[in-house]
Order: sequence, then structure tokens, then C-alpha cells
Amino acid sequence: MALNHKEPDRVPQLIRWGKEVGTRLSEIFGVSGEDLGPRMGNDAIVCQVGINALMEMSVGDLVEGETLTSEWGIVYQRQSGFNNPIKYPFETKENLDTYRWPNPHNPRRLNEIKRVMKKYHHDYVVIVDLSSSLYEAAMAHLRGMEKFILDSYDDPEWVGRVLDGIADYYTALGIHAVNEGVDIIRIGDDVGTQTGMLIPPILWRQLVKPRLQRMIQAFKKASPQIIILYHSCGDFSLIFNDLIELGVTFISTMQPTANLKDPFGVKKKYGDKLAFKGGLDTQHLLPRGTPRQVRDAVRELLRGYAPGGGYVFMPAHLLYQDVPTENIWAMIEALKDYGAYPLKI
Amino acid sequence: MGDLKLLATLVEKGDHLGTAKLTRELLDRGIDANQILLEGLQKGILSLGERFKCNEAFIPEVLLSARAMKTGMEVLKPFLIPTESKAKVVLGTVKDDLHDIGKNMVGMMLESLGFKVIDLGVNVHEEKFLSVIRKEKAPLLAMSALLSTTMPELKYVIEYLKKEGMRDGIRVLVGGAPVTEKYAVDIGADGYAPDAVRAAEKATELLGVKR
Repeated sequence: MALNHKEPDRVPQLIRWGKEVGTRLSEIFGVSGEDLGPRMGNDAIVCQVGINALMEMSVGDLVEGETLTSEWGIVYQRQSGFNNPIKYPFETKENLDTYRWPNPHNPRRLNEIKRVMKKYHHDYVVIVDLSSSLYEAAMAHLRGMEKFILDSYDDPEWVGRVLDGIADYYTALGIHAVNEGVDIIRIGDDVGTQTGMLIPPILWRQLVKPRLQRMIQAFKKASPQIIILYHSCGDFSLIFNDLIELGVTFISTMQPTANLKDPFGVKKKYGDKLAFKGGLDTQHLLPRGTPRQVRDAVRELLRGYAPGGGYVFMPAHLLYQDVPTENIWAMIEALKDYGAYPLKI
Repeated sequence: MGDLKLLATLVEKGDHLGTAKLTRELLDRGIDANQILLEGLQKGILSLGERFKCNEAFIPEVLLSARAMKTGMEVLKPFLIPTESKAKVVLGTVKDDLHDIGKNMVGMMLESLGFKVIDLGVNVHEEKFLSVIRKEKAPLLAMSALLSTTMPELKYVIEYLKKEGMRDGIRVLVGGAPVTEKYAVDIGADGYAPDAVRAAEKATELLGVKR
């Protein structure tokens, strides 16, 4: 309901965390794994099946220093709480010519989507996460950041072929998810920074937009009701209108930096066309603020984004080990206190 | 000098092949190598830097210009008369942090301005920072942290420098996405910069180096 810009009974919640926070919260609530989110009051379940899954959510549980090779041919090593790529499939560009793309029809992954739908869809919104979906997948996982950025100028034709391969994979996988009846497809690339876009909008429009358009059109053809959620960290507001044009109606993560610092301004400018998820600062407020400051910030955030619906509460990133438990608590309780519609804040 | 201006433009636009070609031509014509460096190459990257500071240019353009600058400098190197010994900067991303593109750009900008950069890479432990600083007698340490979870490492390195009695002999410059001016002051750093261009400017200021 919130995504249709109507006010439900309260602002929906989707809070996510890294492994260490999950362990801490499990000890408090006596519930672990995927059941922890619903226990904490989340209204949605995220089924992460994109290339980021191995990097972020400890799928394939490694100990520090251990390595694993993914179906994409990337070698990851566990380092400081993340699985980090240490060897890329496209160390040399020629590797693309003989590269075996992973199989989007892998039944293990499709069965996982089916399982989550069966367990949760009755009571929760199900989001299938296909990130990172294009540029970030190539730069962070397949080639290396500096090399891929320079390739984008030196050899855009090669870059196009890589992006086409990624788009083909995700289009097929996404259609499976849509056909299972999921509510939302989450796609995204980290193309924002603290101060603005990582790459110039003109480059994004040239290389990424056509592939993104192809993916979204395919998902909407499979189901016109499917909601497309687009994610990027940092300030990527320069491409908001492009995303609206492609049929994106829901944006995440709203990291409060640069042109995304002011929720009132963002809501005023885009709130009629976009619903938002995110916005609570995880760089300073949540790790080092007081519970009081966290509560005040939640209220202020809701005052900016929540009027008229169109907002799902979430911190601007996953919660990591530098966030004290008391701040997580303060945040959840503040949402309960301030997030009821009609808003009285 | 029209051609030096053209060289600056080539560097600013990130044309590394054009930069190398024109640099060679100018040398062949007898133009002084240091003049080519300052009025051609450096001018170009600093122009790009100004546009980057105002968000008119983006990270890819910085990488392209830095590559053009480096290419030009490789052509010039045999002909450059060392005017003064270059100030050394020990550079690295802190322990448990693997992000390096920002740090690499800081290194590129510092080198473009004539600093000798000793880049220790990523995931650098405090002992490593200190042992290299000692060995190289470096007057400047520049550290980066991209994650809010690794930011405290910046503080630990500064405290370690104090503990080892090395703090007074070195200037410490910090940066990285979650780092702020206030955080830098709180942890006792000497300087903070939000981007590579301003980092190079700050380094120049901290060391009182004349350009």
C-alpha cells in the first residue's frame, strides 16, 4: 500500500544486518537466521540471488582467510567480515571470448525462491534481489574497478559485451522470479559516491541504461504488476529521472549525502513518482550517536519521507558491527512510536 | 606557449597517447623538460582537479588524466633535472579495509605534484605504517578508510605513533568516504581532505612545500 503512495496503518519496516549484528540480535530474541527479520518487525523478506549474495550475506560460510570460487569463476577470500574478490574472471579481456556464463536456470537457486515464497508470501512482501546487476557486477566482481572504468573509455565495445552477458543472465533469472509471483525485483549498482555519481551520467546512459531497459521490459512483460526497486549507495540522484523513465517506481538506499541529505527536498522533487526506502545514516549516527539522537533522527526522517505513504523505513545500509545494540533498539522503538499513520510528528 | 597549452588540454581530456606524442615532440624541439612538466602536464591535471572539486568532472576522468600525466612523465623522466629532493609520503588504506581507488587517486595526484609516494596498498597494519615511516624518514602519512567499521584504525595508528614517540616528526592526513573534518580533528590528525585533489593540496600545505 505504501508503494502506491497511500498511507497504510504504519510505515513499513525492512531492517537488514551483517553477520555479527545478526548473532547479537539472535542472542536477544532467541531466533536466528531468516526468521530474525520478521521477529524484529520487518514487513518484507529479501531473497538475495544476485552476484552480491556471496560477498555480503555470508552465503557459503567462510572463516577468515578461507577462499571459495563462485559459479561466475570469481575467487573470493574472507577478509574482515566480507568475502572479497581476489581473482577476477576477466583478468585479461580476452577471457571473455571463452567465458562460460553461469546458468540462470540453476534449479537450486529457483528452488530457494520457491521455498521463500511458500514460507513467507502469505504474510510478508517478498523481494528478490538481483544486485549487483550491471556496472557494479562487472567492475567489482568480474574485472576490477579501475580497469573496468578505464575500459569503459578505451574499449566500450568490450564493456558492452560484458554488460550484455550480465543482462542476459539476470533477465532470465528475474523472469523466473517474476513467474514465481514475487512482489518486487530489486536491481542495482553502486554508481553513487559521497559527493555525486561515480561515473558520469552520460557514460551510464550510454553503457548501462539500454541494458537496464531491456531487463525491466522483460520483467514487466512477464508481469505488468511487478514492482521494480533500484538500489545504489551514495548520491545517484542525477539518474533518478532516467530510472523513472525506465519504469522504476521504488528507490533504495537514500544514503543521506550530497543531494540526498534532505528528505523533505527529495520527497518534494520526486515523491509523486518514486517511493523510497532507506535514509537513516549508518556512517556516523548509528555507530557513534546516542540513542536519543537516533530517535530524533528517525522522527525527522519520517517527517520528510513518510507523509502520503511512499516510504519504507530502513537504515541507509545494512547494520554492521560498529552499531551498538542500544542504537538498534532505539531505532526500532522510535519507528513504533513515530511511524503510525496518520502521522503525529 | 600554444603547444604547452595544448599539452595541458590533452592531459585534462585524458588522452594519454596524444600526451606522450606531444611531450616527445616538445622535447625534440628543445623545450625544457621541467617547463613541459609544470606548464603542460601539471597544469592539465590541476585543471581537471578544479573541475572534479566542483563535481563537474567525475572519477573516471581523474583516472584518465592521471594516466595521461603518468605517460607524459615517463617520456620526460630521463630529461628531468631534479630541482629539489621530493618530499616522501607514506600512503595506505588501513587494516581490514581493502578499498583502494580513492587512495590510488590520492597517490596519482601527489605524484603529479612531485611528491615521492610510497604506497603500501590496502589492509595496512599499524606496525607496517610505522616501520616504513621510520625506514623512509617520511614527513607525511596519508591514510584512507572507506568503511565506518575501519575508520577507528585511523585513530589507532595516530595513537601508535604517539606511543612510539614518532608523532611529532610526521604530519598525518586522513580521508575516505565516512571520514569528516570533525572526525579528523577528534582523532588528532593534522589534516583531512574529501577527495584526491584536495588531498594533494592539503599535503602541499602541511609540508609547506612550494610548487
